[in-house]
Amino acid sequence: MTDSAQAARQRVAMTVLTIGALLAACGGSSPATSVSQPGSAGSGTLNLYTSATQDTVDAVVAAYAEVAPDVSVEVFRAPTGELDARIAAEVREGQIGGDVLWGTDPLSVQGYASQDLLEAWTPPEAASVPDEYQTDTFWGTRLLNMVIVHQAAMDDPPADWTDLTDPAYADGVAIPDPGFAGSAFGVLGYFATMDEYGMDYYRSLADNGTTQVQAVAEVLTGVAEGQFVAGMTLDKSARDAIAQGSPVEIAWPASGAISIYSPVGVFADAQNPDIAKHFANFLLTQEGQAAIASTGWQPIRDDVDGPEIGGEQVTPDWPELFDRQEELLEEYRTIFGG
Amino acid sequence: MDDRIGRIGRARGFVLLAVSASFAILVAWPLVRLAIEAVDGGLAPFLAALAPEGLEAIGNSLWTAAAVTLLALLGGLLLAFLTEHRVVPGRPLLLLAILLPLLVPDFVSALGWTRAFGPAGLLDRLAGLELPGLYGPIGIVLVLGSGAIPLAYLLIVAGMRARAEPDLERAARMSGADGLTALRTVSLPLLWPVIAAAGGLVFATTMNTFGTPAILGRPAGFATMTTRIYGDLAFSSSEAAFQRVLGLALLLVAVVVVIVALTDRLGPRNAVRGAISGPRGQTRAVGRLPLALAWGFVAVTVLVPLAALLLTALTRAVGLPPLPEHLTLANFGRAIDSRTLPALVNSLMLAGAAAFVCVVLGAAAAIAPGRRWRRRWSGFVALGFAIPGSVLAIGVLLAFGRPLRDTLLIILVAYVAKLWALAERPIAGALDRIPAIASYAARVHGADGLAALRTVLLPILAPTLAAAGLLVFIFALHEVTISILLYGPRSATLAVAIINLQQLGDPTVTTALAVLLTLLVVLCAIPLIALRRSWSTGLIG
Repeated sequence: MTDSAQAARQRVAMTVLTIGALLAACGGSSPATSVSQPGSAGSGTLNLYTSATQDTVDAVVAAYAEVAPDVSVEVFRAPTGELDARIAAEVREGQIGGDVLWGTDPLSVQGYASQDLLEAWTPPEAASVPDEYQTDTFWGTRLLNMVIVHQAAMDDPPADWTDLTDPAYADGVAIPDPGFAGSAFGVLGYFATMDEYGMDYYRSLADNGTTQVQAVAEVLTGVAEGQFVAGMTLDKSARDAIAQGSPVEIAWPASGAISIYSPVGVFADAQNPDIAKHFANFLLTQEGQAAIASTGWQPIRDDVDGPEIGGEQVTPDWPELFDRQEELLEEYRTIFGG
Repeated sequence: MDDRIGRIGRARGFVLLAVSASFAILVAWPLVRLAIEAVDGGLAPFLAALAPEGLEAIGNSLWTAAAVTLLALLGGLLLAFLTEHRVVPGRPLLLLAILLPLLVPDFVSALGWTRAFGPAGLLDRLAGLELPGLYGPIGIVLVLGSGAIPLAYLLIVAGMRARAEPDLERAARMSGADGLTALRTVSLPLLWPVIAAAGGLVFATTMNTFGTPAILGRPAGFATMTTRIYGDLAFSSSEAAFQRVLGLALLLVAVVVVIVALTDRLGPRNAVRGAISGPRGQTRAVGRLPLALAWGFVAVTVLVPLAALLLTALTRAVGLPPLPEHLTLANFGRAIDSRTLPALVNSLMLAGAAAFVCVVLGAAAAIAPGRRWRRRWSGFVALGFAIPGSVLAIGVLLAFGRPLRDTLLIILVAYVAKLWALAERPIAGALDRIPAIASYAARVHGADGLAALRTVLLPILAPTLAAAGLLVFIFALHEVTISILLYGPRSATLAVAIINLQQLGDPTVTTALAVLLTLLVVLCAIPLIALRRSWSTGLIG
């Protein structure tokens, strides 16, 4: 049943996309289309390096084929650590194989920007991306929201971040390890740089018997299976699990979910810079955003429908965090080990 | 004098040259490239590895790997004596059950243990029981140790079959030695080269395994060298972190190579060699208690975790109790998509090619240098095995990225560099046990070196060669850390497809894929095991 619902969703999404593409094709001279796509894509091969989830990559590539049928998109997809290691090796070997980099969190992408590996340019659609979610070399495509997930059968679930340090949930809270997941590091950056939390927030969590697991998804699994009562996880995976019938619920933190943006940029030595820019810009268009939203992520543009957002959203001051990874992680590790 | 076995004149010189060239290209050059990049960052990467947290991680890695090795050797020996020296009812089934953990990727077995014995696991649901300390070093040692038992078992059995000792053992018993004395003075010393080879492999595998320490160690704040390396890898867009990865990894290689070299020197200085005996007479039936213990052990460490995984794979959504109304096959459907089949073909081709090349190179590296140089070559070849897969993949990219990027060949290069030792060590171990007399006899009867190799050495080695090939095939089939870094649009492997499909971590789909992968490996392994049995019975049994 779940599957058919999912298939139905996908069909609807595809229909919407097809109609959108048809409209775009019919109204070739409409301002929206000409503004959204710089020049024509031309034809050729595009190498996409990404850590976005496979279903999202598939949806975007399918939607892009409608707009640029003569471009063949070759995807290298891997978790952030492996993707970054491959790029680091290729940089030293002399030639990055990718044209476009579509990452999961701004911090790892910033690492390449600061080595001048990313092209500085202005996508036509950049104006539609909120200022806090873009730089000169990369732009947000979607938001990952860190929320609280808890067991469905709880009488008095936590409602805000500080509740997780409440003795009522002693030994029952799980958090993802910022040393592994970029999104978890974004959260660490947010708490560490906010006066009302600071590193003391993590100390209180540790004092309350909080468990650190490796991946964001392990928090969700642990809560669903009853190993933990609550924890921090990403809204999309929690929504997916709930839709399938997992016994968990989302508590959208009263003071705001912590939003991490997933950026796209173009490599400075891209072999096909025109196609690369065309594709990167496509991710920011309404069509690209709709494809992203069809897989359950919150689009970066507010004029594209996405999943239901349960309340406030806050985000770290990203430029402030860009060069502080080592320092923050080191302090974090004195608290949670590893 | 012993060298006469391997001395096959000019052919031997040629083989040695080929082995040296393969080593230089496949193992040495990627390592040198890594070292160049690491040194590029000055001494900082190495100093970082020696900071207090780094030392703690090194210590943790060392003692857990030592404990795992002991556990695996003990278990492997006990099971090997049981199945090889006694008549065991239901032997094929027991063999398959013993070897099953080998067929399961290690991150999957860690997952299986948490599903079975962890909080809210199968046992917890059924009986309110959970294994204390599962999250932390105890759990890591138990999961990795029980997972490594089949590796030790397979190598020990292959070694035993390369030369049967029941004759000598019986002689000892007839001369008045009790069972324990015969074991201590005859069977174990005879087996020593094989035990050392198995121990070295288990130790090296454990030192650079990542999945289990990550799943079981993180929640307890227990860091090993590999989890630290991976932690830095996750931030490798920062140059300092990337260089730290390389520094730590090279240090890990050094530690593993030194330890393996040291353990190889332990034990009897000259392995006892005797005559080849006649067919093994398995006449004594196994006692009821040892058999029950063996099956109990297999049930607890293999069958229950796998059953727990299977239940998870069949459950509609994570966290639902496995009641009939929540069961579904849909996860298997979601696990298979248009990418799975080409990826499967790639995986089978890669694993087959890697098994073939590794066995050929492994045999060449074990036979060609002769007895005196064999151990030194074992050490060289172990370099590739000692390095964590992700870092080896970085080295291969640095060394061959430009000409071979995105091809199956670059993955094969890395597989062979990594798994060469997996084939070489068992073959070298078995060779050490073969009495020189065998080939002298052939030579006396007029056979030249090559003919002696073909007619004497290869038939004796056949079971070991088959076991070595099987090991490489299985390891290559579920290898993921190398291929995820090296694959291209047309060269994704099955494990890569799995990792990519499940990255947001829906465990129901992940476990479905893991179950499918396990089934596949079992299907591939059964004919190989059967083949191995017919070879061994046909040739030396």
